[in-house]
Amino acid sequence: MENKENINKYGEINLVHRMTVIKRIIHWTFFLAIINNIITGFYIAYPFLFFGKTPTQSDSLSTGIVNSGETNQAFIMTWMRDFHFIGAVLIDVIFIVWLYLAFFSWKEPLYKSFLPFGDKLEEAWKMIKHYFTLKDKPKTGRYQDPLNAFVFTIFHLLILLQMLTGFQMYVASFTGTSAVGAWWPWLMHFSTDWTLFIFGGLTGVTIAHLFIMWLIIIFIAYHIYIEVWRSVMWKEGDILIPFGGYKYIRNKSETQ
Amino acid sequence: MDNDNHSCDNNCKEKKPAFKWDPLRFISKNPDEVLKKVDKRLDKLEKEYFKNTKEKENNLPNIFDIYGVSRRDFLKWSAFLTSTLMLPYIFKPRIARAANILTRTPFIWLDMADCMGNTEAFIRNANPTPAEIIINYVSVNYMESIMAPAGYQAEARRTETIKKDKGKYILVVEGAIPTGMDGKFLTIGAKGDTGIKIVKETAKNAGITIAIGNCAAYGGIPAASPNPTNAVGLSSVTNRSVINIPACPANPVNVVGTLVEYILTGKAPQLDNIGRPLWAYSGRLHDNCYRRGHFEAGEYVRHWGDAGAKKEYCLYMMGCKGPFTWNNCTTAEYNQDTSFPMRAGHGCIGCSEPVFWDRMTPFEKPNADAKIIIPGVEATADEFGVALLGAAGVGIAAHAIYTGIKKKNETKKSSSKKED
Ligand code: HEM
Ligand code: SF4
Repeated sequence: MENKENINKYGEINLVHRMTVIKRIIHWTFFLAIINNIITGFYIAYPFLFFGKTPTQSDSLSTGIVNSGETNQAFIMTWMRDFHFIGAVLIDVIFIVWLYLAFFSWKEPLYKSFLPFGDKLEEAWKMIKHYFTLKDKPKTGRYQDPLNAFVFTIFHLLILLQMLTGFQMYVASFTGTSAVGAWWPWLMHFSTDWTLFIFGGLTGVTIAHLFIMWLIIIFIAYHIYIEVWRSVMWKEGDILIPFGGYKYIRNKSETQ
Repeated sequence: MDNDNHSCDNNCKEKKPAFKWDPLRFISKNPDEVLKKVDKRLDKLEKEYFKNTKEKENNLPNIFDIYGVSRRDFLKWSAFLTSTLMLPYIFKPRIARAANILTRTPFIWLDMADCMGNTEAFIRNANPTPAEIIINYVSVNYMESIMAPAGYQAEARRTETIKKDKGKYILVVEGAIPTGMDGKFLTIGAKGDTGIKIVKETAKNAGITIAIGNCAAYGGIPAASPNPTNAVGLSSVTNRSVINIPACPANPVNVVGTLVEYILTGKAPQLDNIGRPLWAYSGRLHDNCYRRGHFEAGEYVRHWGDAGAKKEYCLYMMGCKGPFTWNNCTTAEYNQDTSFPMRAGHGCIGCSEPVFWDRMTPFEKPNADAKIIIPGVEATADEFGVALLGAAGVGIAAHAIYTGIKKKNETKKSSSKKED
């Protein structure tokens, strides 16, 4: 009796699987790595000396707490760069796994949200219209909606660009060989030297790396907002996807 | 030659070299073979340029006497140059011989669009080192700033050298070459020939062509945006291979080292992908800087002359471009081998990199404070990024408010419908 009333009010509620365990792990590792790289990257660009030792010593909050004030105990820039590179390794691995899963995932490969391309473009456009009119909510389907698929793909391309410009900066301190052999710097030069021409030398590459960071921050803001918005407006529990892997699917919507 | 037996201490034939890259590999993979070839070439050149043994042996001492440089100084210097060239110690006597030969090698020095800073760096020295002295005593056939002949005679000297010493003379070019208006932005000499014509003519028959200073190598300051004269570096106007020795001015050690290596081997040294000798330009300044420890420790100069500056902290925040620049300033050092920018307390300005006047500016601010090059945008990456983020934030807020109001209206409508 009560249940039926609910169905009338909210429509029939079903579950749809959206994120495998691996994808959820990737999602949160990626989140942590990117936040880490934003903080450490900022520090590299502008050493703000919060934990560092400053010329007068007294204006460092951490002197005497995490370090004794000796130079060799306060290699703050070393730590920042190390964490940046650890984050970078995570990001690189995740990108490659993401690329693989986008095509070969058993359950929810991304390419299903793209094909057939023309139709999906129209569907994405409908979603944008829905954002602004709040009417005609596109049906929740088996796969990710095309608009999100497009936005996420662009985001991953930004990450790729970040990787390539990052490796170009990284290879700068190599002198033709490395602990694991000459192939490693060669590979980095081979795959990223074109960024020097596109962005105008190493300084340009660095500035591009810095600027792409801002685009990534903007993506994060958009991403969080739109997932919250969907959860509020659609009442399908979109925000739960990266935690439980499922969202709801309803055959009724207030905005239809 | 007393050091010959040092080279092969313990069965070095079986041992592979520790590094994939070593300076004279391109002569031969076999070290003995390299030595043989070098010796043969030195013998030949010595016969060609010196009449007898006495002349050969007295040549350098005579020159150094004038400047009060002792034989000991010279030996120290040749050891220094040997290690700077990344050659084994066994090459030290051969470097000394090559320096001797260098003083007799025909030589043309051309000045294009430039400030003659490289010339000044060589000839205006209170205490010249052997490097500068040798350059001054290279048998200069043509160099506007120090030659006696003028006008037509000067031109004649040049054309004569080109003909007589075809394929033998060393050509050093200083300054960018304007190519706009058929090169008429720069005309030189009694006949008013354009710089581009003179350079092409002279480079055609040169034994080795060296672009000295950033202007000659990559266009430098004359080519800085908006480059009204269409100035370019030497390698863009000649099809001969050019050795670039950039920097502003170039370090005399790097020039003499390159010339000495040419005398030793008859070839250009191994070059990096923008034409610079690897032995001098394979290290990044930031990686060889004595202030690097302070960089890693987060100890930075924040203002000129502050406490950090007195303690020689890292100049990263004062705009040091060492992280973007490849050169050997920190090891070979400038000004009679005594100093370089970071030691003097000012950051590197990146003068040995292409387009440095546009890419490395502002010189005294961190790179992140440089303006980004997006048409119509006059801001740093961060200013523009914050602006975009702010715009996105405003957009998000507007959308949220819009959604809220619209939804409220709709619920009102539908609930009023129900009441009806
Ligand atoms: C979301 C990802 C990332 C963000 C937000 C980020 C951000 C930044 C920022 C802001 C800087 C400072 C740039 C400057 O000096 O002006 C930086 C430096 C750097 N980043 Fe990243 N980065 C990211 C990923 C990567 C990746 C994947 C790599 C790959 C190797 C990388 C390698 C580097 C390197 C080598 C530097 C220069 C460090 C130095 O000069 O000591 N970054 N990053
Ligand atoms: S002074 Fe310049 S080159 Fe030296 S460590 Fe600091 S940033 Fe690097």
